[in-house]
Formats: sequence, structure tokens, C-alpha cells
Amino acid sequence: MLLTVPVFNVQLFLVIQNSRSAFERVLDTPQASAAMVGVLTAIAFALRFYKINQPDQVVFDEVHFGKFASFYITREYYFDVHPPFAKLLFGLTGWFVGFDGHFTFENIGDSYTDNHVPYVGMRALPAILGSLTVPVVYAIMKETGYSTIIAAFSACIILFDNAHIAQSRLILLDATLVLFMSLTIYSYVRFRKLRYWEFTVEWWSWLIATGFFMACTWGAKVNGILTVATIGIAVLVDLWDILDHKKGFTMEHFWKHFMARAVGLIVVPFIIYLSFFYVHFAVLTRSGTGDSFMSPAFQETLIGNELLMNSQELRYFDVVTMKHKDTKVYLHSHPDHYPLQYDDGRISSQGQQVTGYGHDDINNHWQIIPTKALPEAGRGRVVRHEDVIQLLHISTQTLLLTHDVASPLMPTNQEFTTWPKDDHSRHNDTLFYLNIIDADSEDPWKSKSSYFRLVHGPTRVSMWTHSKQLPEWAFKQQEINGNKNPTEKSATWFVDQVISTESPEGLSGEQVPKEPKKISFFRKFAELQLLMLQHNAGLTSSHPYASGPINWPFLISGISFWTENDAQKQIYLIGNIVGWWTCVIALSIYVGIMGADLLARRRGIEPIPEAARGRLWNSAGFFLLIWAIHYLPFFLMSRQLFIHHYLPSHLASALLAGSVLSFILSDTVNYPISIVGRWTKLRKSEYADLGMKGPVVVGVFTFILFLMFVYMAPLTYGTPGLDGETVNAKRLLSSWTLHFAAKETAEVS
Amino acid sequence: MRPSQVQIDFGTPPGTPPRTSSEFEEIPYPVTHPSYFKTAHSYKHEESLPLHHMNEDTSTRRRVARGPGSSGGFMSGDEHESEMHYDDDGKDVYSKPSPARSRVSSGRVHRPPPPPPTSISEFISQNLEHLPPVIYTLLSCWTRFHKIGRANTVVWDEAHFGKFGSHYLKREFYFDVHPPLGKMLVGLAGLLSGYNGNFEFKSGVVYDESVPYVAMRVMMATFGVALVPLGWYTAVELGMSSWCCHLVALMVLCDVAWLAISRFILLDSMLLFFTFTTVFLLTKFHNQQYQSFSFDWWMWLVFTGISIGCVTSVKWIGLFVTAVVGLYTIEDLWEKFGDLRMTNRDQIRHWAARVLCLIILPILVYMLSFKLHFMILNHSGPGDSTMSSLFQAQLVGNDFGKNPREIAFGSKITLKGMGWGGGLLHSHVQTYPVGSGQQQVTCYHYKDDNNHWTILPTWEAPEYNPNGELQFLQDGDVIRLQHVPTTRHLHSHTVVAPVTKLNNEVSGYGNSTVGDFHDYWVVEVVDDIKQGPREHVTKIHSLTTRLRFKHQALGCYLYAANAALPHWGFKQVEVSCTKEDNPDDIHTYWNVESHWNDRLPLGDAKFYKSPFLHDFWHLNVAMMTSNNALIPDPDKEDILASTPTDWPWMRLGLRMCGWGDSQPKYYLLGTPVIWWGGTVSLIVFVIVLGIYLFRHQRKYIDMTLQQWNHFLYVGKIAGYGWFLHYFPFFIMGRVTYVHHYLPTLYFSVLMFAHLLDHFIFSARWKDSTKRVAFGICAFLIIGNFWWFRGMAWGIDGPINDHWGLLWRKTWNIYNA
Repeated sequence: MLLTVPVFNVQLFLVIQNSRSAFERVLDTPQASAAMVGVLTAIAFALRFYKINQPDQVVFDEVHFGKFASFYITREYYFDVHPPFAKLLFGLTGWFVGFDGHFTFENIGDSYTDNHVPYVGMRALPAILGSLTVPVVYAIMKETGYSTIIAAFSACIILFDNAHIAQSRLILLDATLVLFMSLTIYSYVRFRKLRYWEFTVEWWSWLIATGFFMACTWGAKVNGILTVATIGIAVLVDLWDILDHKKGFTMEHFWKHFMARAVGLIVVPFIIYLSFFYVHFAVLTRSGTGDSFMSPAFQETLIGNELLMNSQELRYFDVVTMKHKDTKVYLHSHPDHYPLQYDDGRISSQGQQVTGYGHDDINNHWQIIPTKALPEAGRGRVVRHEDVIQLLHISTQTLLLTHDVASPLMPTNQEFTTWPKDDHSRHNDTLFYLNIIDADSEDPWKSKSSYFRLVHGPTRVSMWTHSKQLPEWAFKQQEINGNKNPTEKSATWFVDQVISTESPEGLSGEQVPKEPKKISFFRKFAELQLLMLQHNAGLTSSHPYASGPINWPFLISGISFWTENDAQKQIYLIGNIVGWWTCVIALSIYVGIMGADLLARRRGIEPIPEAARGRLWNSAGFFLLIWAIHYLPFFLMSRQLFIHHYLPSHLASALLAGSVLSFILSDTVNYPISIVGRWTKLRKSEYADLGMKGPVVVGVFTFILFLMFVYMAPLTYGTPGLDGETVNAKRLLSSWTLHFAAKETAEVS
Repeated sequence: MRPSQVQIDFGTPPGTPPRTSSEFEEIPYPVTHPSYFKTAHSYKHEESLPLHHMNEDTSTRRRVARGPGSSGGFMSGDEHESEMHYDDDGKDVYSKPSPARSRVSSGRVHRPPPPPPTSISEFISQNLEHLPPVIYTLLSCWTRFHKIGRANTVVWDEAHFGKFGSHYLKREFYFDVHPPLGKMLVGLAGLLSGYNGNFEFKSGVVYDESVPYVAMRVMMATFGVALVPLGWYTAVELGMSSWCCHLVALMVLCDVAWLAISRFILLDSMLLFFTFTTVFLLTKFHNQQYQSFSFDWWMWLVFTGISIGCVTSVKWIGLFVTAVVGLYTIEDLWEKFGDLRMTNRDQIRHWAARVLCLIILPILVYMLSFKLHFMILNHSGPGDSTMSSLFQAQLVGNDFGKNPREIAFGSKITLKGMGWGGGLLHSHVQTYPVGSGQQQVTCYHYKDDNNHWTILPTWEAPEYNPNGELQFLQDGDVIRLQHVPTTRHLHSHTVVAPVTKLNNEVSGYGNSTVGDFHDYWVVEVVDDIKQGPREHVTKIHSLTTRLRFKHQALGCYLYAANAALPHWGFKQVEVSCTKEDNPDDIHTYWNVESHWNDRLPLGDAKFYKSPFLHDFWHLNVAMMTSNNALIPDPDKEDILASTPTDWPWMRLGLRMCGWGDSQPKYYLLGTPVIWWGGTVSLIVFVIVLGIYLFRHQRKYIDMTLQQWNHFLYVGKIAGYGWFLHYFPFFIMGRVTYVHHYLPTLYFSVLMFAHLLDHFIFSARWKDSTKRVAFGICAFLIIGNFWWFRGMAWGIDGPINDHWGLLWRKTWNIYNA
């Protein structure tokens, strides 16, 4: 089958109709196209590398991603919500250019030069990736069947975009994300074009390439999942089409297609995605800032981890201190009693106070008392999951107890108090189940590494505390009470220190460093994925430059990345207003045209020629799908959002703008575009005829775009410094919050 | 026009115009065209029969046709079984032939009314079909009214709605987040049962002698009784088999949650009632499809519109069922829009009818309920301050009318922000923890002394002399506003406002002797309701003159939009100074509300009138604002609240009253079989729909086009209905409770019945099988209800003595 391809290509050339202008014919030759790519790429590199050493300071999120890169070099474990691929690339680049990882990128504005960080090399990576995005955009348009001039138009919107440039000149993840996202689109377009040559080597290659790039996109940043969703929807539509009985395919044929996509777009990407994490875990073997996010079992796999060093099994009659996991207070008691009546009139038991206390103190010491017969010695004396225990407060010799009395601050929760050790009248109320989290039965209770809940036997409340302070009578210590939900997540405690033990190993501390333990890669992977999801949803705190999705396409507000007061320099992330607004207009024209077409066809009128209409539905529709899937989900997210989350959608809207411009200029399309199969029935082939107005329109547009880019460039490159008046002039929309603006109104006082 | 049988046999008669072949193959065109209408009666028996009369054995469901040989079924048009791939230039899913070849709807053909009965037995046999619903209704009366007065205390939200009902009887203006219709009906029930409106309805308090609470509850429960026949007839109109009609009626009858919520003085029984009527009337209207613009068609359409108006006037939740009607109508009109054979005049008539009956009519009903609300509540009451000053002035018992009309220097005034939902300019001794740290100035809805301000001249001008010549305030005057309790001055400076960061902060500064020129405000008149536009305003009047206050030094305007201050500002509305001079911004408008000046004559209350539309809009915005403010408080654990994910599987119930051993206990929890069955059926429907679509794509014919349309139609009503009543709760920020799921439940019940109908009762099973299936379903529903009946009828004695109620560990029925 492969051999027949050239034959058809020859046939293609035979049916060419040459009604186009000579200029356009020249433009669409492969040589002209290659020259165009060359020029665009060269400009892209020039614009992204221009003064890349400026500023020689940490800018915006470089505090995060630079730091992560240095952790890869020092091999210290860290935690982040984004998958590791792009950060691994930064680590690799840093290592390559000789960065030793000593610099920790603490604050925006820290100097690289003073700290001898080879930052230019690290910034070169996103600059290269960002530059390569431009030819890829060109190639997508070209492969989708648009003329050279239209492809150049779309590419220029990206090429001269201030936001894309600002984002690719710094150590940030978005350049990687955008490049791999555009490569995914490109591969998928190539794959679709081969649909009449199914199961050939090329077909498989582009299918797997799509999967590969998709995995890289997702691996670069968590937003890449949207690219996966886009391709997923496109594939479902495609499969639904194959299923259509009118196409005459058998079910076996359908399942073959189905399996091919499952392999290429699920299995392959998943393996690649896994491999990023494999490398991630393989590199990060030392204890670092990310330890405390992980479960104890995970932490024990890291070299030098505190849990690994100090964790030991607990035995009955050990004296220990216990800490609350979230608020880090010790379980504490002291001889003072609860007042009989609280301010709101409720009555207490007047028992001994049990509180949460933040400091090390002799009153934090508790002894573990068994409730069953113990052997004289040996493993039988180890405390295990689901054992029933009592806790003896050492200094007052009383047992921890809770009962159905409302706690001082929360009428819904139970009061915790203590009871004299020798008074057995309330024995049952002093019994607690030890529930170690994620443990199987018979697992031993360990200091540091076992997170546990203490669930009261008779009333099933779990010991809990919250950050509210008790009044003066309890020395403003934290309230401890019984939460009615026995599986409450925040009712988690751990044993901090072992004060005395009869264990043969003795107290920890005198021990030699232990070998890190091993757990399977898949357990680590699953744990990290879950944590990433939880933390991503948890990023809800407000940020002064966060903005809602509705603002993005219109460039209502940007982000101040960096400022330098002396020279009045600043970097402000904002797009090229000409380019972005063109994209918005194109989007609305597209929706308008398609809506009108839908209504007209409903009434039996067909205003758009079939060929042009098919192109608008299929290729431009695909671009619209990419745009929508990369944009609309942000409306549902409640986490903090920034304008740079729109960059993938902006790229898609640039593609759509090209399609719309092509349609506006001419009703004709290039046909055929797909690789013709052996049995494909063909319409008469034709060429898009844009006439001379195409180059003129695009030329003028590009010139305006370029002027706007140059005008905004000082904000993008952070140099030169600007005086107040100039800043005011560059503040094109009143909603942009630029620094160093001159005061607009003279102040009276 | 469809040729008669005879004409077909003998070829085309000369009188009939020759027809094209394409037309000939059409499925009979529904009788919507006027010219068909006259002849429709003579053909009606040849039209497709109403579905629920179709003999099940003749149904072709599950008859699988393969290959082109067995055409005549679903999508058996132009099979194009080409061996070749054809170049579709991309995906061809979009370019499927879009205008429907013909509209086949599942509407029911109108049956001719039977001849009038001549004897009793004939009458009975003609109306035998109404016997079951009558029996169910009687049963429903029993379940709803049984021991209805047992709890002699104020149960749960009776505390709110009973109180609001009392306000209607006392005719005092109150404010609530819900529209007034439901509460007016509560008031009506109180009126009819002779309640005098003087009970306070404190939660958990025993009713005293004067409150006929049993009678009021019975009247509310009557709405709950009506749900059962409505369920039955809706099932009939949806074309379900009689087995399924029984099941729907049983499920509505036996759900403990619907039962429990109907037995108290709450809005939910009315909300449910109007939700049920809306669905019922919509199905009724749908079945008039074949006779557009007939009397019946208009009647059901108008009723649907009225019902929509009522349901939204009870609670805004009613907008969800309105959305169901909206979606149905949009789809219906889209179908008609594609019908190229319909005349333009008919197209326009269809559109106009929908706009008139489904948009304008409901809005009128909604507005009418507010008109009645305002007419009844003509006395001053607790809700006054949420309304505009003018509105308050016309309430009986309000003293604004006696304000001295013209404002002078030295007057003590309160200032009301005129933005929608605006409050009174307020200050209190607490200071801003951010910005300048000076005293807070806010907007506040309640009346107290902290809203009082005195108008004083500037520091430079001669000090105000209480005995000197009266100086009236005029447009352009520069004044200081002194806060009466703290003697500080309304002040603004270039400090950023705490919430609206673009504006300047407004604070209270200085005291009666200390101050500066930042305390100066220029009075700018916008207009006056009585005197007309600015040019005609000679003196500034209380209530009617709209003012703006411009900060003299900064040029900014005193501004209060609906931005709430954080905790430290007691969630009151932020007051700031906006730099933007937008003369149309209503948030910069203020009017003088109360006015005290001993030296001026009192005004006359008759002078003031507030336009209804203005009040209507003002109240709705205020309701919206406070509804959105009902957000869950993260500091407080509300054990009654639940999240939408808790509902479909009944994770949580709700204790409706105290849980003491001596009192009857009511627990709001559904009948598990009905709730779980409904939820399962929704999932099953999605799967089944997917399978049918797959099979269709592979050209397996499962149903005739008419059956398929009917399957989709009922599925859409139930599926969209459920989705639209459920999903919005996820987006809403406000706190949600179990009873928010109750209207939603109806749609899952319909879906449950629809699937049972589809797979068992209208499918090709033996009658004995169907009987057994029905027996099992009915037994489960009734048994389950009987098991849990105590939750709605009241559980006596210690709760832990009642065994077997804890079907899920998360229910807090028992005391731990």
C-alpha cells in the first residue's frame, strides 16, 4: 500500500487547475513555504533571546520553578501540584549548564549574578521551546490546508505576542506546555489526514506521536489534561463516524480502530506519563521540603528523613508525647479544672483540663496503659492497630477520659478530661481504640510515622482539636474535644517523642542512620497523584494579580512579574492587544457565521458553498473545540487563576482566526488535503484563491501587530526603564495595574 | 392532504392535485395546518393511535431488522451501503441532512368525547378510569391528615413561615428571601381558620389556644394530597401503561419525605404542588400537538404559563421547572422552524403564542403576587428598612411622612443609599483594621442612632447658630456631615478603600472641634420626584430629592455598591468614594430618609407615593442579595445542612424537631426504595440511551420512529427535569438542605416509572409476568413506606426503642 502513495501524488498534480494569480502560486510552492518558515523561526528566536539576561534577578514564579530545578540537582524531595516533565527539563538544563543547585530562588528580585547562577542557560530552554512554537503553528495551518499567507498570519499572532514572549523568556512551565500542546495538534492533524491509509506505518507513527506529545503536554503542567480531553473528544467523534453503518464498515473493523486508538492514545501516553514520575522518584532520593506532604510510609523511603531516623515501635508502658498533625500542639493536661459554669451558662463536669499546648513540657507526657494481659517480654508487648488502650497522665497520675458533656467552646462536641487512676468507677470511659490510619490489623504503632485517631470506646467520638483558644482560665491553650465523626480527617495525631521505653532497642537518637525503605513505584505514584489533585483544588487563597476567566480574551488585566524601583523597570505580563482582540473578533465572526448557517439551513437555504462550509465545520470547528476545552473548564474551577492559563486557548484562537480570515477573503479552499486512498471518491480538486488582497491584508495586519509589539516591548522585556508619563501612555486599558505610573490627578493635600 | 383508502385503490381522482412521490412517502403530516383541521375528524381513527392504547403485542419493540431488506422502520431511509470510502473532507457528522423530513411527534391524538351517558351504569363505565385516582386521593388524605396535630409545638421552619403568615394577618411589612405567594397562602389559611396573627412562632414553643394550627396544617397538607392525583394523571398523559400509572401514584403516595414535608406549615407542599402541576400541564399541552391553536391547545398552554408563574412565586427554586418547560419549548420551536411547509403566519403565531403564554403571562402572575403582597402589607413592620425611603413613607405607622420637607443646616438626618438593596449611611466606634485605621463608615439596613448625621457648614464659615436665621440647603452647598453619636465627620482621603481597591476610603474623622477640609462634601442634586429635574429643584426635600455627595478636595463621589466588608466590618456594606464621575450611577445616589428639625413645620404623609415597578424591582434585588448571602459559615458546623452529593443516595436525613423522649419526633428522610430506585433508573437510562444510539448507528432497529420519539420525550422530561433541578445546587454558593431535593425527586420517580414501563409493563411480556412484577414493586414501595411511616407521623417514646430504622450509618436517627 505504501508504494502506491507516490502514484496518487502524481495524479494529484495532474488535476491541478491554475486559475490563481502567479504571485499566489509562487507563495504556495514548497520553496516559498520553507523560506517563510525560516524567516518566522529566525524572528521568533531573535525576539525570544533578545536581552535574555535581563533582568538578572529572580522573576515571579521563577521562585518556584527555579527552586524545583535546583532540587533536582541536589536530589532533595519536593512537592508541587504540577507533574514533573517540564521541571525535569529545567533540572537537566541546569545540570547541563553547570548549576550546582546551591541557590534556592527565595524571593523575587534576588540577584543571579551575585549568586553565580547560570540563569541564562536555564532561561534558554523555554526560549528555544517558545520559539519553536511559531513554526509548529505555521505547520498546523499549512497541513490543515490553508495557504502560506494564512498560515503566516496565524503564526505571526503568536510570533509577535508579548504574553507568549514574556512567558517563554523566564524559567516558567508554560512555554513547554504550549509547544507540546501545539505539537499534539499538529500530530493529530497529520494522523487525520491519513485516514484513508489506515494501519500503515505513517498512520501508526502519527497516532503514536499524538499520544507521545499529549503525554508530554500533560506531564508539563496539570492544565495539559485539557489537551488530553480535546483529543479524546475528537477521537470519540471520529469513532462514532466509523461506527455509522452508512460507511459500511464491519464491527471487526471498528474494534480494530478502537484498539489502535486505545493503544496509541491511552496506553502509550500513560506509560510515558508514568515514566516522568519514575525518573522524578529516581532522581529525588533525599529528604527535602516535600516530605511532610507525604505519608509516613513514603517518607521512610527518603534518605535522611526524620521519620526514617527516629521512628520506632511503641510498647506498652512507654511514656510518650503526642502531637496533633494539623495544628502541631501537644496533648497536654494540668492540675487546673474546668470552671463549673461557662460564660454562656452551660455547665461543665469540672474535671481536670485537657488542652493542646504548643511547647515542650513535662505535662505533655503520657503513658500507654494496656487493657489486656501482656507477656513478660518480647513482641507481645508492642502496641498494635485497633488495640484498646488507656493513657495515663504522668505528672497528675490520672487517666484520659471523655464523656457526654459538652466541651467548653463547642456544644456539639464532647469534653475531654481526666480521672484518677485508682478510681475504677469510670473505667469504661477511659478506654480508647487506637486507629492507625492506612494500617492493616496487627500493624505496630510507631512513633513519628504512625498517624492515628484516638476513638473513644463507649461514645465513638475521636479526639480532636481546632485552632480556637480557650479563655484565660485555661491559659489560652487550645481546646481538645471529642468530634462526633469518628473518621474525621483532621482528628489525626502522631507520637512525637518517646520519653522512656523498655524496648530492647532503647531510645532512638543513639542510632546509626538507617537504610531507606522501599515501596513500589506504583504506590508512590498513586499517592502523589492524589495529593496533587487535592492541593490543586486547594489553591484558593487570593492573589493580587489573579483574574477571572472572563477577563482573559479581552486582556482586561495582566500580571506584574517583576519591578526594579531605581531604574523604574518592570515586567508586566500582557498580550499584544491587536492580536488578542483580532482573535476575539474572529471567534465571534465564526460563531455568528455558523449560527446563521444553521438557521438558514433549517429553512432550506444554503448560503455557503459546500466545500467552504465543510472546511469551516471540520478544521475551524476542531480549532474552536481546542479553544473551548482549554478555556471553558476554568469557569468551573474555584482555584486562583491567572491570565497565563489562557495561553493554550489563545494559540487555538490564533488558528481559528486564520481559518476565518481565509473564509472572509475567499469562498474557495484547497482540496484535497487528506492523503487520498485507493478507493476514495474525489470531487474536483481546487485551490484556495485569495487573490492579491490576501497578502496585502495580512501584510498590513502584521505591520500593525509588530508596531503594537514594539510599543509594549519595554513591559515585556523589563528594559529600558520608563518614566511616569510613558507608563501612563502604555497603560492602554485603565484596568492594567502598571507600576511607576505618574499620578493622574494633582493631589491637594 | 392525506388521500383516503378508497382513493388509493382507484388511483388519483381528477379532483385531487397530482402529488409528488416524495410527499407520498411521508409519514402523515400532523394536523397542525388549518386546512387539515376541518378534515381531521374524519381521519382521526386512521391517524396513529394514542400510545397508551396500543396493544403491547403489536409493538415492534425488540424486533431486530438487519440489512436493507427490512425497511420501513426506524431510520430506514436511504441506505447508502457503498463498498467505497468516500472522501467526506473530514468528519461528516455535521452534514447529516438537517431539516427533518417530516415531523413525527409523540403527541396524542384527541379522542372524541363519548356520547353523554344515559344511565348511571353508563356513566360509571365511562368514568371507570377515574376510579383508581379517586381511591388514591382518599388514601392520600388519610396519610396526610393522619395525626396531623400530634406535635403541638412549632416544628422546624414553621417558625419562619408561620410568622410570615402572621404578618399578613397583621398587615405588617416584613422581608424574606422567598417570593410572597406561598406565604400569602399560609396567611390565607390562617385567616380562614380564624387565627388572629398574634402568635410569635418561636421554634419549639407549644402552640397556645388562639392558634388553630391543626386547621392551618390541614390546609397546607391539602396541597400535598393533590400531588397523588397529579402524579397519576401526569403518568396517563405521558402515555404510560396503567400498571405504571398505579406505580407513579403509589410512589407519590408512599414517599415519607414528601409526606413529612406536606404535614406542616411550610412552603414546600405548595412548591411541590405547583411543580407537579407544571409538569402535568406541560404533558397535557404536549398531547395537543396535533391540533395547534385549538381551544384545548390554548387552554393548556395558558394554564402552563400560569402554573409557571405560581411555582416561581412560591420559591425561586421554581425557576428550575420553568427551565424544563423552556427547553421543551425551544426544542419544539426548533422543530417547527425547520418545517418548511408551515406558513410564515403559522410560524409567527407559534412563536407569539409561546412568548405570550410562557414568558409574559408568568411574569404577570409573579408581579401580581407582589402587587397583592404590597397591597396587603400596608403597615410598617420589621422589613421596612430593606425598601426605599419613599415606599416606607407610605406605610401606615411610619413617621417619615411627618418629616419636615425642606432640609436646612443644623438638621439631623439619615441618608439612604438608592442603589438596589442600598442601606442607611452608618458609622460606629469600631475602626478600620486596614488603611487609615480611622472609624468605620458603612451602609446598614437596620435603624438605630448610629445612622444619624447632622448637616453643618464648613469650618471656615460662621459656626451654626441654633437660634440664627434658618438657612436651607441648596444645590452646590458645601457641608460637613457630623455623626451624631461620635461627633466624628464624614471624611475621605487618598487611602485605598478596604474592598473596592480602586476607590478612596471613607471614614469618620476628628470630633466636634477637630477637622480639616477633607470633611467637605458638595451637595449635588440629581433630581426630585415631585419637583422634576435638577433645574427646577429650588430646595432640597427629604425623601423625594435624589442627591450625590462630591468630595470637595478629591472630586470623588460617595458610593455604596453591594460590596460587603469582611468580618471586622460585621459584613455590612462598604462605603467608599469613587473617582469616576458617572452621573447615571445609581450607587452614588442618596436621599434623606428621616429628618428631624424642631424649627421646621412637619410634612404630610399623603404627599408620597412610590411606583409599584420600582418597589417590585427593589424588593427582588434585595431578595437576591440576601439569598446569595446565605453562604455556609465555615466557622460554624451546621448539622442540618447537607451537600447535593448527599441526596440521591440518601446519605443524610434531617431531624425536624427536638429529639426528647416525650415529644413526637419527625425525621425528614425519603422512602429508600423510591429514592434509590429513582437514582438507579437515571443511571440506567443514560446507559440504555447510549446502547440504543450505538445500535441505531449500526442500523439495528429496536423501535418504530414513533416509539423512539416517545421514549426520548418521556426520558427528556424526566432526565432534563432531574438534571436541571439537581446540578444548579452545585454551582450555588448558598447553604443547601435535604428538602431542596424534593422537587428533584419527582423527576427521578418519573424516570423510574418510565424505565419500568419501557422494559416491563409496555414490553412484550406475558400478563402474568407483568402482574408479578407489579406485585413486587408495589409490595416494596408500600412495605418500605410502612416501615418508615413513623418518621412522618411522629415517633413516640425514646427513639432508641424503635428498632431497624438505621439503614445507613450516616443517618442520625438514634441517639448515639
